[in-house]
Amino acid sequence: MVPSGREGYELDTGGLPGYGQQYGAQPSEQAPALQMYGLRKTFGTTVAVDDVQLVVPRGSFFGLVGPNGAGKTTSLSMAVGLLRPDAGMVRIFGVDVWESPERAKALVGVLPDGMALPERLTGRELLTYTGLLRGLDAATVADRANELLGVLELTNAERTLVIDYSAGMRKKIGLATALLHAPKLLVLDEPFEAVDPVSASTIRTILQRFVASGGAVVLSSHVMDLVEKLCDHVAVITQGRVVASGPVAQVRGDQTLEQAFVHLVGGRTGGGEGLSWLAS
Amino acid sequence: MVGVLIRMKLRVLSHSLGGARAASFAVGALVGLAAGALSLFFVAAGFHQGLSLGTTIASAMFLLWTIGWLIGPIIMGGGDETLRPENFALLPLSPTKLAFGLLGASIAGVPPVATVIAFVGLVVGAALLGPLPVIVAVITVLPALAFTVLLSRVVISLIGAVLGSRRGKDLGVLLAALAGLSYLPLRYVATALVPVLLENNPGLGDTLRWLPTGWAPSAVEGAASGNWLVVIGAVLGLAVVDGGLLYAWARLLQYRLTTPQTNVGPAKARKNKAVGVRRGLLPATPTGAVLGKELRLWWRDARRRAMLLTSMLIGIFIPVFSAAGGRSGTGGAVMLPFAALWIVGFSMLQVSNLYGFDGTSVWQTIVTPGAARADVRGRQWAWGLIVGPIAILAALVLPAVVGAWWTYPWVLGVLPAILGGGAGFMLLLSVYWAFPMPVQRGGNPFNSGNRPGCTRGLVRLASMVFLLVIALPSLALLIFGQVEKLPVLSWLAVPVGVLTGAATAWWLGRLAEHRLLDRGPELLAQVKASS
Repeated sequence: MVPSGREGYELDTGGLPGYGQQYGAQPSEQAPALQMYGLRKTFGTTVAVDDVQLVVPRGSFFGLVGPNGAGKTTSLSMAVGLLRPDAGMVRIFGVDVWESPERAKALVGVLPDGMALPERLTGRELLTYTGLLRGLDAATVADRANELLGVLELTNAERTLVIDYSAGMRKKIGLATALLHAPKLLVLDEPFEAVDPVSASTIRTILQRFVASGGAVVLSSHVMDLVEKLCDHVAVITQGRVVASGPVAQVRGDQTLEQAFVHLVGGRTGGGEGLSWLAS
Repeated sequence: MVGVLIRMKLRVLSHSLGGARAASFAVGALVGLAAGALSLFFVAAGFHQGLSLGTTIASAMFLLWTIGWLIGPIIMGGGDETLRPENFALLPLSPTKLAFGLLGASIAGVPPVATVIAFVGLVVGAALLGPLPVIVAVITVLPALAFTVLLSRVVISLIGAVLGSRRGKDLGVLLAALAGLSYLPLRYVATALVPVLLENNPGLGDTLRWLPTGWAPSAVEGAASGNWLVVIGAVLGLAVVDGGLLYAWARLLQYRLTTPQTNVGPAKARKNKAVGVRRGLLPATPTGAVLGKELRLWWRDARRRAMLLTSMLIGIFIPVFSAAGGRSGTGGAVMLPFAALWIVGFSMLQVSNLYGFDGTSVWQTIVTPGAARADVRGRQWAWGLIVGPIAILAALVLPAVVGAWWTYPWVLGVLPAILGGGAGFMLLLSVYWAFPMPVQRGGNPFNSGNRPGCTRGLVRLASMVFLLVIALPSLALLIFGQVEKLPVLSWLAVPVGVLTGAATAWWLGRLAEHRLLDRGPELLAQVKASS
């Protein structure tokens, strides 16, 4: 299947292409990979996510960047059905995540940040469990698990329980569980957090191959360099709002993404004042 | 240093008290302080009656409080960890200095204050004897208190160090189980102790005085009776023992701070044939996958094992001990055949926070379409496959052991009903009234972390009553059969029990499944530790 169209560029001007059409229960041929519309979430008096609108086109490599506490994780959790939004809609390939969760969740693979796995399983056992739970047949699960463990270089840790995995290994096995059922969209929260360069490069290659074969990836990160190199689309989120969104080249203009980001977030890079006693 | 640590601890304590937790804290504090005051009154009253009796009672009280300090942390979860030594690992402090500072900070908090009040009983009692005993009491109470706190810290740290390894964890699980049960034997010790105390048995009084906990009262007694050798010996002895314990604690702290807390040598999944065979026996379906995962986790997760093991031990021990405590030997004969029912009841109660055990990993169930049903049913089957055979074995063997053949229809009629009910309620409680548990990385199986809270505790107790309700059809048949002398009716209770049990497990599981489907994200938020 050829990824259809790259609509959604004009998001920050208010247009939400594809949203007027009445689909919602069945995956649509034209619908973007992921749409969030008017998403809102408050915790007590804190507004974590405030009217977030995002369109992730099919076949795009989409980076969600923002400062700590900007609402990246909250938004992505709402997008995949892990956190109930106070208001708004999420659609995955046109299927409403909160109206027909079963259909929507079959289309997406998820890697949440900082959430537990069944820790006392080995990598292979975890993949087998996940695959069978997804309703795949045993032979397919065994084949795919074998391949994923090989590609992600986890075969050496065959008998290590996930609880004893290092941070990088945890991210890799998490990615493997997200890929196992061959989803069309990957939603990854901080996939490169605390990952060593070698593992990071493995993950990067796999994701690039996934996109090249027509899948869409959404990942959150606060490493601008990585997003700039890896992604073709980017959205900047700060204080629960999307302040810019579109192709990377368009968002960053003639600056680097990092400069554009600091400018968009209204940040002032601190650290230059005070601390006179430190040098003495 | 000590002052800073005490202020820090008080600040942390005040921050961790919010809302409902403040209420339960206040109740606990009142009970603790009342116990301290009561103990103070006993000691003072004892001295009022006579020097020797007062000394014996004071020694006994000090011993009891010290035992409390030893058992309390094991039951309540790993001891006082408000100030973790790890937080100070990078400060340029010697381990001894750190131990000394933490000892000082130990005095802040409710249990220590209650203990101080109890120990002050010695000073009050000494006031009845004259100025010199008061001075001796004031001098010795502090090291006596330090002894109690230090002994508790050293023993708990020692257990913690042992628990670092996998084998040690198994030991710890047993220890925790035994500590949880120890109140039963203690009750008999107490019932045996009180008459002896009242008779003022000299042998017992001597023993109490010779224990380090009795040294401070002995010193007061010595001061009152002019036996200064005892006073000097007691003071010196306390100083030496305290010093030794402080040194030991410092060494243990150093070990803890320089040795990773995780398993020594990461736990490997055993590649034995049995697992492979078991895997092959399980259906390659979503439910089969959950069942396999659950069976593995029940075996591999020390905390889960601890829960099951203790519930089974309690299930067997309660009838046994109530038999031993009964006035006649017949109590055991009546209760023991029903141990199987206790086992099921407690196993249900202990594991009724399944999603809390697994922490945030429930996200996988939420993002997987159709996984809720498999998850609920798989967990029910896993629990049933573990608890069921043990309970059935107990139901078949124990009545024969006691020779109470008449109990067979009763046990076998009620057991399937509550087994099914347990499998249902366990999931229902886990889904509707979940609470977070501390994240476990190489952790301490004692550490049960957050208390379930008042509502959740009450609901769990109520579910025990509902288990009986589910057994009502069987019970009705059994009673009717007994009254009408129709054994056929009594035995009919068995298939009826199987049917009601199966129906309840299915129906409650369905409720749990729907709740998990509808409120999955809320469950996830609930089990996410708030800290």
